[in-house]
Amino acid sequence: MTPRTRQRHWDWRAAGNFTAGGAGSGLIVTSALAAQAGAAFRLPLLTGALLIAGGLSLVWLEIGRPWRALNVFFHPATSWMTREGLLALLVLPLALAGAATGAPGLALAAGLAAAGFLFCQAQILRAARGIPAWRQPELVPAILAAGLAEGSGLYLLAAPAGRVWLLLALAAGLVRAGAWWRYQQALAGAPGAGASRAAFGGLSGRLAWAAQAFSLGLLALALASAPAALGAAGGVLAALAGAGLKTLLITRAGFTRAVVLPAFPVRGGGGHAHLGR
Amino acid sequence: MTRYVMVADLRRCVGCQTCTAACKEGNNTPPGVQWRRVLDLESGTYPEVRRVFLPTGCQHCDHPPCLEVCPSTATRQRADGIVTIDEDLCIGCGYCLMACPYEARALTAAPAFAFGATPTAAEAARRPVGIGVASKCDFCVGRIDAGRARGLTPGRDPEATPLCVNSCISGALRFGDLDDPHGPVAALLAEHQWFRLHEDQRTGPGFYYLWDAAPP
Amino acid sequence: MTVTSTIPSYCYNCVAGPDLMRVRVEDGVAVRIEPDLSAAAIHPGLGRVCVKAFGLIQKTDNPHRVLTPMRRTNPRKGRDQDPGFVPISWDEALDTIAARLTDIRARGLLDEAGLPRLAATFGHGGTPQSYMGTFPAFLAAWGPIDYSFGSGQGVKCVHSEHLYGEFWHRGFTVTADTVHTRYLISCGNNAEVSGGVCAVRRGADARARGMKRIQIEPHLSPTAAAAAEWVPIKPKTDAAFLLALVHALLFEAPRARLDVPFLLARTASPYLVGPDGLYLRDPDTGAPLLWDETAARAVAHDTAAARPALEGSFTVPAAITRGPDGEITSWHDVPARTAFTVMADTLHPCTPDWAGAICDIPPATIRRIAADYLDHACVGETITIDGQSLPFRPVAVTLGKTVNNGWGAYECCWARTMLAVLVGALEVPGGTLGTTVRLNKPHENRLASVTPGEDGFMAAHFNATDRQDWAARPTGRNAHRSLVPIVGNSPWAQALGPTHLAWMFAEDPPAEWPDPPPPELWFAFRTNPAISFWDTARITRAMARMKFIVAFAYTMDETNHMADILLPDATDLESTQLIRIGGTKYVEQHWDHQGFALRAAAVAPRGQARDFTWIATELARRAGLLERYNAALNRGAAGAPLAGDGFDFSLPLDRAHDPDSIWNAVCQAATAGLGVPPRDLAWFREHGHCVVPFPRQDWYLTPTMARLGLRYELPYQERLLRVGQELGRRLHEHGIRWWDRQLGEYMPIPQWHDVPARWEAALSAAGADPADYPLWGITTKLMPYTTGNNAGIPLMAEVGANLRGTGAVIVNAATAARLGIVNGDWVEVRSVIGATVGRAAVVQGCRPDTIVIPGQFDHWKTPVAKDLHHASLNTITPISLDLTDATGSGADVVRVSLRRASAPAGQEAA
Repeated sequence: MTPRTRQRHWDWRAAGNFTAGGAGSGLIVTSALAAQAGAAFRLPLLTGALLIAGGLSLVWLEIGRPWRALNVFFHPATSWMTREGLLALLVLPLALAGAATGAPGLALAAGLAAAGFLFCQAQILRAARGIPAWRQPELVPAILAAGLAEGSGLYLLAAPAGRVWLLLALAAGLVRAGAWWRYQQALAGAPGAGASRAAFGGLSGRLAWAAQAFSLGLLALALASAPAALGAAGGVLAALAGAGLKTLLITRAGFTRAVVLPAFPVRGGGGHAHLGR
Repeated sequence: MTRYVMVADLRRCVGCQTCTAACKEGNNTPPGVQWRRVLDLESGTYPEVRRVFLPTGCQHCDHPPCLEVCPSTATRQRADGIVTIDEDLCIGCGYCLMACPYEARALTAAPAFAFGATPTAAEAARRPVGIGVASKCDFCVGRIDAGRARGLTPGRDPEATPLCVNSCISGALRFGDLDDPHGPVAALLAEHQWFRLHEDQRTGPGFYYLWDAAPP
Repeated sequence: MTVTSTIPSYCYNCVAGPDLMRVRVEDGVAVRIEPDLSAAAIHPGLGRVCVKAFGLIQKTDNPHRVLTPMRRTNPRKGRDQDPGFVPISWDEALDTIAARLTDIRARGLLDEAGLPRLAATFGHGGTPQSYMGTFPAFLAAWGPIDYSFGSGQGVKCVHSEHLYGEFWHRGFTVTADTVHTRYLISCGNNAEVSGGVCAVRRGADARARGMKRIQIEPHLSPTAAAAAEWVPIKPKTDAAFLLALVHALLFEAPRARLDVPFLLARTASPYLVGPDGLYLRDPDTGAPLLWDETAARAVAHDTAAARPALEGSFTVPAAITRGPDGEITSWHDVPARTAFTVMADTLHPCTPDWAGAICDIPPATIRRIAADYLDHACVGETITIDGQSLPFRPVAVTLGKTVNNGWGAYECCWARTMLAVLVGALEVPGGTLGTTVRLNKPHENRLASVTPGEDGFMAAHFNATDRQDWAARPTGRNAHRSLVPIVGNSPWAQALGPTHLAWMFAEDPPAEWPDPPPPELWFAFRTNPAISFWDTARITRAMARMKFIVAFAYTMDETNHMADILLPDATDLESTQLIRIGGTKYVEQHWDHQGFALRAAAVAPRGQARDFTWIATELARRAGLLERYNAALNRGAAGAPLAGDGFDFSLPLDRAHDPDSIWNAVCQAATAGLGVPPRDLAWFREHGHCVVPFPRQDWYLTPTMARLGLRYELPYQERLLRVGQELGRRLHEHGIRWWDRQLGEYMPIPQWHDVPARWEAALSAAGADPADYPLWGITTKLMPYTTGNNAGIPLMAEVGANLRGTGAVIVNAATAARLGIVNGDWVEVRSVIGATVGRAAVVQGCRPDTIVIPGQFDHWKTPVAKDLHHASLNTITPISLDLTDATGSGADVVRVSLRRASAPAGQEAA
């Protein structure tokens, strides 16, 4: 019954954390796989760490009391934000060490931590009960798939011609498209989510979907033995598409929960009479 | 046990905003921050239309989603059900604002005052609240604690009762200990039909809305 | 260590007060307002104050305040002129004013046209008097003053209710006896918004116990929201609705369900009316006749043994009628009907089906409401109040502002009062009650104002309309004594006369009267007619022609922009005053106590602001009026006579007294007058208020009427008919024809005429095509802004914004869709005189043919308010003689067009 209002407190900086953190953790996961497969992984690992750190820095710029940022670690028992921070504490040194030493084991450990970090990001949104569009269960796989699609896409910059990595990026991109399609379908079925759904239906949303489709096309072309640069371009576009979707999700689709009254107040009662009585 | 709750009689509320003004002034909240708000709701289609005024604010939930997400433990829950924010711990991440299904929390980036950049004498005389940190209704916990220390009963003695309740001109807002079988709140809930908001979220709100007398 | 205190005070910023409060002061700074819960047991609103009071802290601290006396340096006045105010000393300011006052006194208090050279205007509903300290004593010491430049009186008050209510049942304002009422028909009465704390609390208690209120109005106000049912009605057709209810009681219910004993004993229902529409009278005594069914003949109304006939037609062998100017007509074997029968015959056509088509309300709904009303009336039942058995009639009818002034309001007031009369619910527990008197005295006791008058009725004090005593030349600039007999000539009468006529005549004086020179000195306090009146551009022009304006200034505003001297008075929390509280007062203040309350200065005045009592004393001293001023204080001009039975706190006449000495005397005298030990100022500063019990049976007038053997002057309006005829003769004798429309309102039984058509006709008369202005524009109040003078307080803007439509244009969703308007769009509302711009508030709860612009805004000078960009109906409402009724009032109604508009400069689009 109340008009839903768009949340105004998490802006592009928060969206930047979900974008950079998601892509970074996806990149680290991909790098971990690459390390096991003997492919290049040190620079991607480092890049992934920098992306995560960059995302967190954006959040640091957004919070009201940045000099108290360490308080973020105080509530691991229930807060997915604390857990995200703790996993960042784990993933960053592991990734940096992996990049520095080139040890595949460290890369694997970093990849596992990064997967956890990505999971935390998905759960952060899932726990935001004030924003029904984020509360939607279908968002969790969408966020996970997005991180992987973006990270595997960016990895193509390091290994543009590797067919297995092209295949991974293409598969992750397809999974992401499916997961986001499923998420947006779920929004369509959720009562009162019209405004959130409309945020994805606008020009920006259509652009993000077009970028997704285009990136998938480029990746498929690259896979069909087209020039390697196409793969890298497709990967970057996959990451950009994800950035667009997440920015929309945070800054445009975050509408509050409407108040629905289970009953109306009864203000004065009594039956009706007839003049003739 | 003690469980403090708010009761709003929707038959009485006329949307006058007195509670909102009393809260703002008493708590020195910055412009735009309203811990106690009264929503002006309409439903139906002309000419069959209903308009309802709904006092709202922090519901002091049994299971506060804000507390669950708070990374700093600034948000806490007391044994008497009151959910508080430790301004010295809060990092102002805004996560609790996203978690609250009741839009009860606020966060103001920079100091702001009624007439612009310079505080009035009244504003300057007191600590600004909620600047760079989350803020919300705390049921005037300071009044409750100070009152109880003097042997007063919150909800019955004005000095131990939230300012919004004291100010309410229609008698819509009432406050008290849910677990006190002889207190005003227990009687109100027994004698009326009531609901709470967003029961589907299983938050267990400590804010009850009366809408009719109990069936005989 | 913080030093904290709570200082007693009151809020009387609106006529629905006063309410009691405390000011919390920390280290000399007022930090917050608190309800005075120590008064919960004696105050009908349980010691609470409404949202407005909480703005008083910001009002005190407002950085835009005028804090020194100022003098204008630019002699040219106008909205476009910079006044060039420069600070001056209090001495210079007061001496400048005193020199003017002394000069005026030397030349005479009246000018060549016979009008007072000194004028004064105070704002909302007499409430400024509770903030002007002893200034009333200065005004009393002066002599004749023109109060007719209204700040809204006549167009913004419940004007017809004031005049007819006080005439019929000493009800200057009229309310339901909410604590007992079970069924309330409210035609637009916005009690939950403008009824104050007492009305809101009483209404909430009543709803909780099951009182049913039916709210009939074009848009769904908070009061309609809190009602059991909202019935949308076409604007200005309430008279048809109410007349149909009367019809339904008369023709669709058995007569025995009405309160026949009440009609026979307490009303003029059985009086016999002759063919000329006048009461048939005893040829010897002149007493009105009624038909005695026992003797089967006409007898004087006061014949003790008579069994009067309520209705019927009879033949009276010999009688006289008394027409205008004392003309006597003798009648023989004259046909006569009772007044009741004349009423019934007149209203026979006013069926619910007839009204339904006019009001756009289903006839079945009208019948149902009439039936419910009758069913709840409990005719024949009694209730014990203060040990006395009184009739119990828990049904009432209340009217709102736009129902209650302008054309159609007479009909509404009459029909409303008759609905009460027919079931005996006038002035008895549960029924329709008056609250106070202002045209009769004593103000503090309306029961004592009832004295026997002519024809078995209570005395009424009309302005003379006979040839000898009629005011052929106006004595005030609104000509209230010449045009509006019913308003009388009490101190309040001028400000209740047609106050817009003063503004109109300032530009367009009638040819038949001497041109009214503007007053030579105009005092303005807590008033901003440039915002609160209509056609504000025209008011502003008229104000700019005032010769010398002394404005008590809180901040700069649209009115004091024209001033010559600004005086900064100490505001609400900075000054001291004792006022009367309790008894029955205005809107819904029905107390079980009465007494006095102090507004103690809580903080020192900011800057050079000075306590109003000091200012008044200094003006009196410097203008040579000190003795008269002190004498006025001793007589009671500060709220209570300073000497009385067994006490004497009189002030010596020959010297100026400081404010504390004056209020110390007033406090002691006031309490001594209550019959309690005298309490001094220090006592009041600690305790705030002092009250004694007020008997609840004094809420009701009917027992007094019964005790005095008087009848309510209803249903038939013989007096008004005669007075109207006399007034017509006087005006025509002086060649005045421009008041003829108004003369048509003097109907002995009100009949419906097409009231809305008057607004369409006015458009045509202005050369416009009514089709270009297809919507009705009306207004409504907002509690945070009810009195209007707090538009510059940010807290009010913030909390007011929580209510839909604040500062906006409320429009029905279907209408908005048709015009391509969405919620939040900027829209322009245009009338024949101009346009106002605001955001659209698109709602379902509004008639499709009506837009609503709440509050009074469109400020261009008042700090903070001028940046709100709120729309205002006042800007576009014409002041028009055609739309002025016989009481001199007009209604907040205007025909408008609506369209999307571009955002004002600096404002975001939708």
